[in-house]
Amino acid sequence: MWNEYSIGLAVAFLCALIGSLALTRERDDLHKLLLIDLVETASLAVIALIGTDLAEALILPGLVVGIAELLALSQIYLTKEGYQSYPVKGLNIEVMMRSPAPVIISTFLVVYGIILSGFTGGGIAGLGVVFFLMSRSFCGNFHILEMASGISWALWVAAFFVFMFLPEWWYLALMGAALGILLKVITKMSLVGAMWGEPE
Amino acid sequence: MNEIGGAPLFFLEFGDIVIYFTPFTITLFLLALVFTVFVLVSRPERQIDIAFGGDAYYAKEISLSELRFRRFMSIACGLACMGAMVTGDVFDFTLFVSLVGICNVGIVAAVKSRHVQNAAYQYGLVALAGTVPLFAAAAMVAATTGTLSMLELAKDTIQVPLAARALLVLGVMGEGMAPFYAAKAEMFRAPGAPYVIMCSLSSLLIFLRVAEVILLL
Amino acid sequence: MIIQKISRALSNFDNILPIFAAACAVMSIITLLSLPLAYHEDQLYPKQIVPGSPLNPYDRGGPPFTQAVIHSQYPANSPTAGYVTSYLTPLSLFISQHTSYMGTTIVAHPGGILDEILYNTRGLDTVVEPTILFIAFAIAAYIFRKREA
Repeated sequence: MWNEYSIGLAVAFLCALIGSLALTRERDDLHKLLLIDLVETASLAVIALIGTDLAEALILPGLVVGIAELLALSQIYLTKEGYQSYPVKGLNIEVMMRSPAPVIISTFLVVYGIILSGFTGGGIAGLGVVFFLMSRSFCGNFHILEMASGISWALWVAAFFVFMFLPEWWYLALMGAALGILLKVITKMSLVGAMWGEPE
Repeated sequence: MNEIGGAPLFFLEFGDIVIYFTPFTITLFLLALVFTVFVLVSRPERQIDIAFGGDAYYAKEISLSELRFRRFMSIACGLACMGAMVTGDVFDFTLFVSLVGICNVGIVAAVKSRHVQNAAYQYGLVALAGTVPLFAAAAMVAATTGTLSMLELAKDTIQVPLAARALLVLGVMGEGMAPFYAAKAEMFRAPGAPYVIMCSLSSLLIFLRVAEVILLL
Repeated sequence: MIIQKISRALSNFDNILPIFAAACAVMSIITLLSLPLAYHEDQLYPKQIVPGSPLNPYDRGGPPFTQAVIHSQYPANSPTAGYVTSYLTPLSLFISQHTSYMGTTIVAHPGGILDEILYNTRGLDTVVEPTILFIAFAIAAYIFRKREA
């Protein structure tokens, strides 16, 4: 019985097969990383094939794990290869450095992101912060950002415990979790934005 | 249900994810706990180099930041191990195993030598590739049985396809690849050695646990 | 002899990824051969589409502050499951009453079925997930800062 699910699985595993075969032959370390990222997509496809709301909720952790490891590995790669020079030096455009336009655009993005809240909102607001940092070639202290990301993580865990042990306070927990993820995604995106800038 | 690790002693319910303790998992849990406490209290050994042809020797200094970072990673790894030992949900198990994998990358990658960094990178690539079969296995379990809870899957009426089990094992193998690298002499002799033990221990523990999960499914 | 060769190949860590990738490829082939797999019809959190609803792909019931019926694994463990599903923020309530395109952006606002699963019934998954992110960022930030120094 070749149902739709099996056909989907066949396509996804065919992709995984092609990707893995490419990985066995690839010798360049950077290309290996990119190829693995490609193969990850096949596993997301297998999760999506469940085809329920559960699948959508499982894709998020699946995606995040891939992105997180990709980030850590790319930093290890830079150290391992001994790259010290930074070819990307922000957006060194004089108009952007001076004019108030990046401030306005960033403020708009951040406010809109906070209104949206949740994961998407965090992404949009984070994009605003990254854009601002890049246009001003900001560099330096992101200890504050790391602290904010730690606080948002704690907020999230607190919300989880409210959900589990005080279920009648679900509204508080929902707002806590939504705020936690908003802060988390904003800070993480800003950290990524700051990390490719010029060294101090 | 078939009880591989003995009858569950008690349950800890977190919504759909039920954590349960059987004699088997409780043993592994305590092992992970004890080793995490060891890591917490132990001080890293300092590597001693002896100069040939004389009485001179010198100890390599470990910077405080490196020590803190590796200790933090080892403790996180221990906590992730404890989670993976007792969780009662297939997808949650795969997430904990990925957490163990990335903590191991962190423990190894903190060492400043180029050679060790290269090893950490190669191991990280395998850990990243290992998430593919892991998540694929969990998703196939959910799609073919309609549940992710190990307590439900342990019932005899539910059949998990062989391919999903094999993918799960392959994924755990990818995440638990660290001893292949840690076993290399350079890595163990790298300054601040005791934390590397956590790599080996965590791999051992997740292999033991996945054996139980596979027999349970 | 053969064991010596294998162990030599394994001991070079540049070979580990190709070996693991080959194992993945073999496993993909095995999975493909085992293929037609039955899809279990009675799934948790099933999808349903209510025609004409402004919340469309995510309309799972009721006005805000009523308990929607959701098909979770252990309903007894989360007695208030369903409240988050039906909750809409004032803004999203406004949009859903005035346009018919709320459904696509509902995932961005607090409330809805995905938040119910992510925060409430399968909350532990989502606690582990930011922890992975946290650890990965700690590694990246540590290595980045060490390179700067």
